[in-house]
Amino acid sequence: MFNNDSGLLQGTLELLVLKTLSWGPMHGYGIANWIEGATNDVLRIEEGSLYPALYRMTRRGWIKGTWGVTENNRRAKYYRLTAEGKRQFQEQTSGWERFAAAVTLAVGSAHAPSWAS
Amino acid sequence: MHNPFSHPDSRRPFESAPQTEVGDELAFHLEQRVRDYVSRGMDPSTARATALERFGNVTSVQRECAEMLEDERRADARRDWFEDLRQDLQFGLRSAARAKLFTALAVLTLALGIGANAAVFGVVKSVLLDALPYREPQRLVRVFARFRDGSSERGALSAGAANDVGIRQRSFSSFAVFQTTAGDRIYKGDGGTGIVHAAWVQPAFLSTLGVVPALGRDFHEDDARGDTAFAAIITHDAWQRLFGGNPHIVGASILINGIARQVIGVLPRDFVSPVSNADVYFALSLPALLRDPVSSRGSHYLSFVGRMKPGVSVEQAHDDVDAISTALSREYPRDDGPFQLTTTSLRDAMVGDTRTPLLVLMASAGLVLLITCANLAGALLSRTISRRKEFAVRVALGAGRGRLVRQLLTESTLLALTGGLVGILLALLGLSALRTLALHALPSYAHLTLDSGTLVYTMLLALCTGIAFGVFPALSVGRANMQSTLRDETRGTSESRRSRRLRGALVAGQIALCLSLLAGAGLLARSLWAMTSTPLGFNPNGLLTVDVQPPLNQLHTSEDMASYYARLEDQLRAVPGVTAIASASELPSGSMNSNGLAIEGAPPPPSDQMSFITYVSVSDDYFRTLGIPLRSGRTFGPEDRPDAPSSIVISSAMEQRYWPHGGALGARIRLGPDANAPWKIIVGVVGDVRNDPLRADPEPITYASRRQEPTMGVSFIFRARGNPLALAAPIKRAATAFDADLATHNVATMRSLLSNGLAGRRLPVVLMTAFGALALVLASVGVYAMFAAMAAAREREFSVRIALGSSRQAIAGLVLRQGAVWMAVGLAGGIVGVVMVGSLLRNLLFGVRALDPVTLGATAMMLLACATLALLGPVRRATRVDATTVLR
Repeated sequence: MFNNDSGLLQGTLELLVLKTLSWGPMHGYGIANWIEGATNDVLRIEEGSLYPALYRMTRRGWIKGTWGVTENNRRAKYYRLTAEGKRQFQEQTSGWERFAAAVTLAVGSAHAPSWAS
Repeated sequence: MHNPFSHPDSRRPFESAPQTEVGDELAFHLEQRVRDYVSRGMDPSTARATALERFGNVTSVQRECAEMLEDERRADARRDWFEDLRQDLQFGLRSAARAKLFTALAVLTLALGIGANAAVFGVVKSVLLDALPYREPQRLVRVFARFRDGSSERGALSAGAANDVGIRQRSFSSFAVFQTTAGDRIYKGDGGTGIVHAAWVQPAFLSTLGVVPALGRDFHEDDARGDTAFAAIITHDAWQRLFGGNPHIVGASILINGIARQVIGVLPRDFVSPVSNADVYFALSLPALLRDPVSSRGSHYLSFVGRMKPGVSVEQAHDDVDAISTALSREYPRDDGPFQLTTTSLRDAMVGDTRTPLLVLMASAGLVLLITCANLAGALLSRTISRRKEFAVRVALGAGRGRLVRQLLTESTLLALTGGLVGILLALLGLSALRTLALHALPSYAHLTLDSGTLVYTMLLALCTGIAFGVFPALSVGRANMQSTLRDETRGTSESRRSRRLRGALVAGQIALCLSLLAGAGLLARSLWAMTSTPLGFNPNGLLTVDVQPPLNQLHTSEDMASYYARLEDQLRAVPGVTAIASASELPSGSMNSNGLAIEGAPPPPSDQMSFITYVSVSDDYFRTLGIPLRSGRTFGPEDRPDAPSSIVISSAMEQRYWPHGGALGARIRLGPDANAPWKIIVGVVGDVRNDPLRADPEPITYASRRQEPTMGVSFIFRARGNPLALAAPIKRAATAFDADLATHNVATMRSLLSNGLAGRRLPVVLMTAFGALALVLASVGVYAMFAAMAAAREREFSVRIALGSSRQAIAGLVLRQGAVWMAVGLAGGIVGVVMVGSLLRNLLFGVRALDPVTLGATAMMLLACATLALLGPVRRATRVDATTVLR
C-alpha cells in the first residue's frame, strides 16, 4: 500500500478524488495529475482504476460530469461535486483523520506491551 | 406498449452513445499525457507507447465505464418518467380544479356510466359466470322432455323414462332422479301445525351434486326402501326455522303428514336446490314408482340430474340420451312418442329464462357507457380546443408533442379513475335496489354483490374509458399545427372544419345510441303494458287466494274428502266480507298440470303429435267467483255426482281448436295416460282465461268438477267486499276453528300472484327504462355542451357576419341547421341500432312488433324534443353576439 508500485485502497482513491474536486471542477487527467502532485508523487494514481471510480461515484450521485472546453480549446469531461458529494467529502475526511491519527498513535507508541518484557 | 425505461431515444438531446462518450474522455486523457511527455522531450511514438502502458488496459476500462454510464442513464430516464408523471398529475389536478364545472360533470357522467355497468356486471357475473354451488358444476347436466306439440320445452320425465335413461346411459358416473316440484306437507311440532315443502329424491341426489350434509349423514340406498326407512334430510333454513337450530337435531323424530320420520342430516347453509326450494328431502324409490303400470310411463313429474364422466362433453351426453330417447319412442310409441329427451348443462337449466333479459341489460349498460364515452370525448375535445393556445405556448417553449399527448392521457385517466370510484358507490346503491326488484326474476343461487372480480372489471372499464376518450383530444393536439394555432388564436378565426366534423359525429353517435336504447325500453314497456292490459279472461280484482292442506289420516276415501271440503267451504263462506267462494286444484298460472287428450271418434293422432291440455278441477262456483263467462251449455252443479258420468267444461280456445264447426257439447273425450279410463262428456264451454300472463293468446283449458275429481290439496279463492287482504286473518281463524289440524298457507291476493308471475318481465323493462332515461339525460347534456362549444368557437365568425349585415335570424338558422344535420345523421344511425335491439328483444316482446312505428315515432319525438331544448341555449347565445366587443 505504501509502495510506489502498489495500488491505492479504493476508498482512499475516492476520498482523494473528492478532495481534488473540492477545489473546483476538473477533468480526469487533471485529477490524476493533482493527486500525484499533492502527494509529492508518493501516490501514483493507477489510471486504469481512476475512470471506473469516477463513473462509480457518478452513479452514487457524489459527482456529476459535464462536457466542457479546456484552456487549449479541447473538449473534455469536467467533474464537479454534488451536494451529496460535499457531504461525503466532509464525512470521509473526518473518518480518515481519525483513522490516520489512530494508526499514527499506535505506530509511534513508545510503551511496550506487558508480554514484551 | 413500449417500455419507457429502455427506449433507445430516451437519451437527452446532444448525448452520444455511452461507448463513444467514454472513448472520447479516455482519448483526451491519453492525448494530454502524450503531450506532457513530448513537452518533456520524449519523441512522440515513445511518448504514446509510454502513456498507453501507464494507463493499462484501455479497452476493458472503456467497457467497464460504458456499462456504468448506460446504467446511470437508464436510471435517469426512469427518474424523469416519474418526475413527468408527478408533474402531469399535479398539472391535471390543478387544471381540474380550475374547470370545476367541467370536472364535476365529467366525473358524474362517468360515474353514472361506469356505475350502471358495474351494477349490471355484478348481476351478470353472479348469474352467468360464478360457479354453481356444487362440486365441479360444469360436469352436471339435466335431462328434460321436450314435447313435440310445443306445450313444453323443458318438461318433466316419467318414472319409466327416467329409469330407462339411468339403465342405458353410458355418459354419467352418477345420476339421481328427483321430484320436479316440492309438495306441501303438514308439519306438526311444538309450535303448532305448519306447512313444509317436501321433495323426494333418489339417495344419490346429494352425492351426484357433490354436496355433503353439514350435520349428520347423506342418504344410503337402504333409506329408499319405503317400508322400513323413514329418513329425512332438512335444509339449514328449516333447521333454524322449525327447530331453532337445535344442535341435537340429528336422530330426532319429526312428524310430517302424520308419519314420524327421523332426521339423519342437515344441509349446508349455502345449499341451493337445482329445482324448487324444498325444506325437507325424503329418499325416493324408483322401483316403487314403476309398479303402477299406467302412471309409471304416463305421468311426468320427475327430474333427472347426472354427473358426466370425466372427459364427456355435454354434446356427447346429449347424443347418448338422444339415442336412448329415440329407442324409447319406438318401444313405447304411445307414452314416449310425444316427447324427445334433451340434455342441457345444469347452469343453462338453472339460468333458464333469465339469460335474454340479462344480455339485454348488459347491452343497455354498454350503450350507456358508449354514450358516456362519446359525451366525455366531446367535452374533452371542447376543453382541448379552448386550451389550444396554452398547448401552443408550451410547444413553443420546448414541450414535445408526445409530452402533451401524454399529459392529456394522464388527465383523462385521472378523471376516469375518480369517476370509476364514484361509479362503484353508485353501483352499490344500484345493487341494493336490484336485490328487491329482482327477487323473483333471478335464479336463487345468485348473490348480488360487488366482489373483487366486479371491482377489477369496473376499474379496468374506467381505465379503458379514460384512455379511449382521452385519445380523441390527444390526437387533435398531436395533429394541430402549433405555429398556425398560436397565430390564429391570437388573431381569431373559427374552429377548423375537421374538429367541427368530429364534434358533430360525436353528437350523432350519442343520438343514435340513445335512440336504440329508448326504442328498446319503449318496446319492452309496451309489451309489459300489453301483458297487464290484455284481458285475462277473469276479474282478478278483489280476489284473495289461500292454499289449504287437510290432515291425511282422517280422509280415506274421495267421499270423505268431498264432504270435508263441502263443510269447510260452508264455514268459510260465512266469514263476514266474503261475497263469493270457490276452490280449485290449482290457481291460474303459467305452469299448470296438463294431460294428454284423446277425442272419441277422431282418429288417434300419431303419438308424436299428441296434444297436452291444461287440466284443472274446480268447484261449482269457480266460474262465477272468478267472473269467467259461460258461452254455451252449463257449468258444474249438484247433478255431477261422483257416480254420474264425468262432466267436462272446456274453454273457447279449446272449442275453436277441436270443434271449429260446432258439436263440442256432448262430445266425449279422455284425458290422461290411462287408455281404459271411461270417457268424459263435455257439458259446457266457458270464456278463455290467460292463465299465463306472459303469453298473448289463451291456452285451451279443460275443467273437471271437484265433485267428481277431488284432490287433496286445494286452493280457495274468495271474492271480498273491500280490501281482500283484510280477509286473511278471519279466514285463517275460521279454518282453524273448523279443524285445528288443517294447514293454511300462501295467502295472497290474485293481483300479487299475477304480478309475481310478471316479475321476470318487469325487471328488464324497469332497468332498460332507467338506462334509457339516463341515456337521454346524458345525450341532452352532450348535445348542449357540444353545440355550446361549437357556437362559442364560431362567435367571432358570427360577429363578423353580423357586422357585414347578416340578421340574427340568419345566425340562429346557421346554428340550428348545423344541429339539425347532425341530429338527422344520428337518427338515421339510430334506426340501424333499433333494428339490432329489436332482434335482440324479439323473445321478450308481447303484442308489439320489433319495429313498432308508434314506439319508434314517440321515441324519436322525445329525443328530438330534448335535443332541441338542448340546442336553444347555444342558439340564443349565438344570436346575442355583440359584434363590437368580440371583434375588438
